[in-house]
Amino acid sequence: MTDTSFQHTPDNSPLFEVCNLRCERDERLLFSALSFAINPGSALQIAGSNGSGKTTLLRIICGLNDGFEGQIRWRGFDRSEQSEAFAADLLYLGHRVGVNKVLSPLENLRWSAGLQVKVSEAELMKALSDVGLRGFEESPCYTLSAGQQQRVSLARLRLSPATLWVLDEPFTTLDVDAVARLEQTLADHAEKGGAVIVTTHHKLELPKLQRLTLG
Amino acid sequence: MWLWFAKLGSPKWFYELSTKWLPWLTAAMVLTLGVATIWALLYLPPDYQQGYTSRILVVHVAVAGTSLAFFPLMAVAGTITLVWKMKLADMVAKNAAALGAWFSFITLATGSLWGSVSWGTWWEWSDSRLVSMLFQFFLLLGVVSLRSALEDSEKAAKACALLSIVGCINVVVIKYSVEWWNTLHQPASPVSMESGSANGPEFWIATALMILGVYLFLSVSLILSTRNEILQRERKALWVQELLADTKSGRG
Amino acid sequence: MDSTALNKPSTWSAFALTLKRDLLIAFKRKNDIVNPFMFFVIVVSLFPLAISPEPTKLAEIAAGVIWIAVLLSAMLSMDSLFRADFEDGSLEMLLLSPHPLFFLVLAKNIAHWIVSGLPVVIASPLLAYMLKLPGDSYLTLLLSLLIGTPTLSLIGSIAVALTVGLGSRGLILAVITLPFSVPVLIFGTLAVQSSAAGLPAGGYLALMLAILAGSLSLAPLTSAAALRISVS
Repeated sequence: MTDTSFQHTPDNSPLFEVCNLRCERDERLLFSALSFAINPGSALQIAGSNGSGKTTLLRIICGLNDGFEGQIRWRGFDRSEQSEAFAADLLYLGHRVGVNKVLSPLENLRWSAGLQVKVSEAELMKALSDVGLRGFEESPCYTLSAGQQQRVSLARLRLSPATLWVLDEPFTTLDVDAVARLEQTLADHAEKGGAVIVTTHHKLELPKLQRLTLG
Repeated sequence: MWLWFAKLGSPKWFYELSTKWLPWLTAAMVLTLGVATIWALLYLPPDYQQGYTSRILVVHVAVAGTSLAFFPLMAVAGTITLVWKMKLADMVAKNAAALGAWFSFITLATGSLWGSVSWGTWWEWSDSRLVSMLFQFFLLLGVVSLRSALEDSEKAAKACALLSIVGCINVVVIKYSVEWWNTLHQPASPVSMESGSANGPEFWIATALMILGVYLFLSVSLILSTRNEILQRERKALWVQELLADTKSGRG
Repeated sequence: MDSTALNKPSTWSAFALTLKRDLLIAFKRKNDIVNPFMFFVIVVSLFPLAISPEPTKLAEIAAGVIWIAVLLSAMLSMDSLFRADFEDGSLEMLLLSPHPLFFLVLAKNIAHWIVSGLPVVIASPLLAYMLKLPGDSYLTLLLSLLIGTPTLSLIGSIAVALTVGLGSRGLILAVITLPFSVPVLIFGTLAVQSSAAGLPAGGYLALMLAILAGSLSLAPLTSAAALRISVS
């Protein structure tokens, strides 16, 4: 997993770069002159108190929110000019986990992972058992706990081909065991040349971890 | 050209320019509206067929004609909001929706007032213009209520911009489908509005003057309400603070 | 990252996945299918009680009553089009997927129409019979509804997408959507009425097809833009 095979990537430009970002929401300045860059193999932890704009920043990074000024570059390109390629290379796990309550974990994952990558049923089952949902694959999600529902969304991490992962508070409802497993997943992803942007209050132990505090 | 466009988008620039223009526009409005109203309502000779009721028509036609301008105006403003993210366009659009609803309402009111005398009924489904005006009124109210329902002002701006563009297309489709519907359900039509054309040239001059006056009124009210909107949204900006300080010290 | 490009599913398969998912959700929830249908049947059944059981009077209003009931049931059922997805976060996934949003929104629209519009269309001849609609116009009624209900769904989805973030949106949805449905209502009822009067209705159906074609190409695009606004 190196980005060399992307032919149009100009040399030495970071995977993802934010320049001079400024965002105002409801007449309140959330952040200004915010710049950072993230390279393959590294991680960025965004910290800050409640209401400091962590989620807004993540949504701006993904392209869900366009209420900002400044530049966002992906592999050296203006992100908005490469939105489809960027979307194929991005995985976002939001605050709301994107798990439909009446569908089973398997059915949920088939759609949510399937939008981004061709997956076989065996791969889906493996991903679900990897996040500790073995035996729950077919039960409707409303019978699962909040932590288990979050695991359904975490299973996407195991299938996605995306280089850039953007995770909003992924640790909140997880138990100790699942937290350790997620940390391992993030470390593995970074090792394979991926990049992670994550908001959490959790003490993260990852190689090449940058920290950014808002507010 | 581009520079001029960007400049126009600046609320401050608009505010300053409108300060200069406003007195002239207001004076022109008072003059034309005053002359047109007095002439039309007091001195216009009665129509041989409709008698004095044709005088209402002067007001009605002018307001109706103007109210048709709102959806195109809002659609253009909406496009500017969505494509160039220009805040000023949204400030204009916000007030245009409510003002447009009022204009449509006045059109309906004067229309049925005229109808009550000429047709002997306050409401006549067989006049397609009344019916499509009614739906334009509903559509404008829809935009107004969407605006008030969305709390986030930026989201509201974009949502209303989109709805205005869709609404503008829809008003045209509705107009033609209602006309079609009307020709097929045509009962024995009462006096058609076309009989207004039986009026002499004086009627049309008065109407033209009235249309000019109503358009001036529209511009003045849009400018005034936009200025209000600018002050409110930019109240934290330095130039507004200075302006407020000036006004206060000028008074004190 | 060659694998990204190679393993990316086609837009068509994303379309099919979304369509299947939405149909599956609807079949599991049942309410989405049953309620619009029941609403339609009940509203139509109220008219004879409120107006008159006299066959000639009913025959006269049948087309209009059925069309208005269809309109209302379509509008009420529209609300569920994006709501669950908005609330659970699936909508964000949809917006961030590497496919043109046009086709995914279209897939959701089609699924929604199959679930809430099609049953109503199928039941309409029975209700038309109960309202004593003249015999020659059944086919026209069926065709006009078959063309008109997807149009209503497509147009309605714009308003739903615009209001999906609102807490209470039942009435504002009606205020926005109902005026938009006027052309469909006019041509739909004109088609049925003229065929009931023994006149050809093909022209109206063709016009409705034109409106459907227009909405099919423009409405998902507008809904997609509206969703981006609502989710931001």
